[in-house]
Amino acid sequence: MLTVQGLEAGYRGSRVLNGIDLEVAEGGIAALLGRNGMGKTTLMRALMGLVPVAAGRIVFQGRDIAGLRPYAISNLGIAYVPQGREIFADFTVEENLKLGLVGKPGGAGTDPASAYRHFPILAERRGQKAGTLSGGQQQQLAIARALVGRPRLLLLDEPSEGIQPSIVLQIAEILRRVAAEDGLTVLLVEQNVEIVLSLAADCAFIEKGRVVARHAAAELARDRDILHRYLAV
Amino acid sequence: MEQLFILTLDASNFILAIVLVAMGLVIIFGLMNVINMAHGELFLLGAYTVVLVERAGGHFWFGLLLAPLVVGLVGLVVEELVVRHVYHRFLDTILATWGLSIAIKQAVVIAFGPASHTVTNPIATSIEIFGTPYPVYRLFIMAVALLVIAVTFWLFFRTAFGLAARGVIANRDMAACLGINTRRLDRATFAYGAALAGLAGAVMAPIMSVDPQMGLGFLIPAFLAILVGGAGHLAGPLLGAAAIGGTDTLAANLWSPVVAQIVVFTMAIVVIRLFPRGLAGRWFGR
Repeated sequence: MLTVQGLEAGYRGSRVLNGIDLEVAEGGIAALLGRNGMGKTTLMRALMGLVPVAAGRIVFQGRDIAGLRPYAISNLGIAYVPQGREIFADFTVEENLKLGLVGKPGGAGTDPASAYRHFPILAERRGQKAGTLSGGQQQQLAIARALVGRPRLLLLDEPSEGIQPSIVLQIAEILRRVAAEDGLTVLLVEQNVEIVLSLAADCAFIEKGRVVARHAAAELARDRDILHRYLAV
Repeated sequence: MEQLFILTLDASNFILAIVLVAMGLVIIFGLMNVINMAHGELFLLGAYTVVLVERAGGHFWFGLLLAPLVVGLVGLVVEELVVRHVYHRFLDTILATWGLSIAIKQAVVIAFGPASHTVTNPIATSIEIFGTPYPVYRLFIMAVALLVIAVTFWLFFRTAFGLAARGVIANRDMAACLGINTRRLDRATFAYGAALAGLAGAVMAPIMSVDPQMGLGFLIPAFLAILVGGAGHLAGPLLGAAAIGGTDTLAANLWSPVVAQIVVFTMAIVVIRLFPRGLAGRWFGR
């Protein structure tokens, strides 16, 4: 569903991605692993159109989306939950969810109720300012906000950051269910190896702006030395 | 007592006119981070639209309706040709729109001459308020301003467009990632802000001398109102205009217009010193 070929991108004066090749198959959860500063977040931002693409192709469902603007990419069916969540803190939970809909064609009148089915805690807090939610609830809101627009591919950056482990597992469980029920594909960036191994089927390792290895999660669970090789500092 | 009432009416009149100008400025600043120095000239174009309509034999009311449309269109063109190319370079936007303001002013001088024009007062009657005659048209201005303020608040706090616009103001990149077309919103809000200024110019034209300098008389109080009220919330210009307009009218009545200017600027400095994010920043928390 997503094919990245020779992707080069970065910020002014520094190239972060040096020719990324990546294949994400339809359905299920794929993970992107690597040490800090290797370009994982930049890759997510480049896929979303937030970082200009210097070279290479990003083919999503048969269409080259490199160079498109973020709103157009979003409307093609890619949703993004950034690191740090970036919820709208001064807006209510319900307004946050509606913001996931207003930009979608025909989405302005849609009810965000579908989101509450998977995330009941958000229904309870719907009138509350999002900034007053706990970290775990904010993460659920960010994911729900991405999902109300009915994306085909979800880019999820560090969902466990700053959240209690028990809540993280709960969120992981919801994600797995949504992915299975709605046929959603997820590209996950995550430091927490246990979460990756419990969620993802497929793992790609990124190093210095290149994908250097790919392994099935089952293989990694058997042979922890591989993880150690790419992730140990 | 009657004196006080008339004074309050006069103050409200000035306050509401400032709000019309300041609100457009705040919307544009909030969304695009652009300080539109040409906003006073958009006000000017609104007034001259009415002059032109009357010259062509049209009625004032037609001019009043046409002005926000014409100036909104001008805003659309300005956004497309100038602002969108520089909006990520903050200082350049000030220079570019300042240059634009000079160009528009000179274009008006070339087209209409430097002299002042008058626009007929469409409701030239007065009504007695506490035994003192008060011009009905001034009451009409207030009604228009209140209506426009209400519509603007409704637009920004009750509609999908408003939600999207506030989302872009709060976090532009994230809003774009949710599928919100920020370009289209920029265009629409710039045109809307311009249309507000044009409407303000047209509605004020009958009680002012319409000349190429008239925009400045509202731009400066509008900027002060934003500084005092805060640019982070739509209520900012309301509070700021109330503070600036109220103080100005009161001091001008008690002493003289010159003293009023001194009092207003002193007050602005004190408020900004105490509440750097403006009155609205203090009360609305953002």
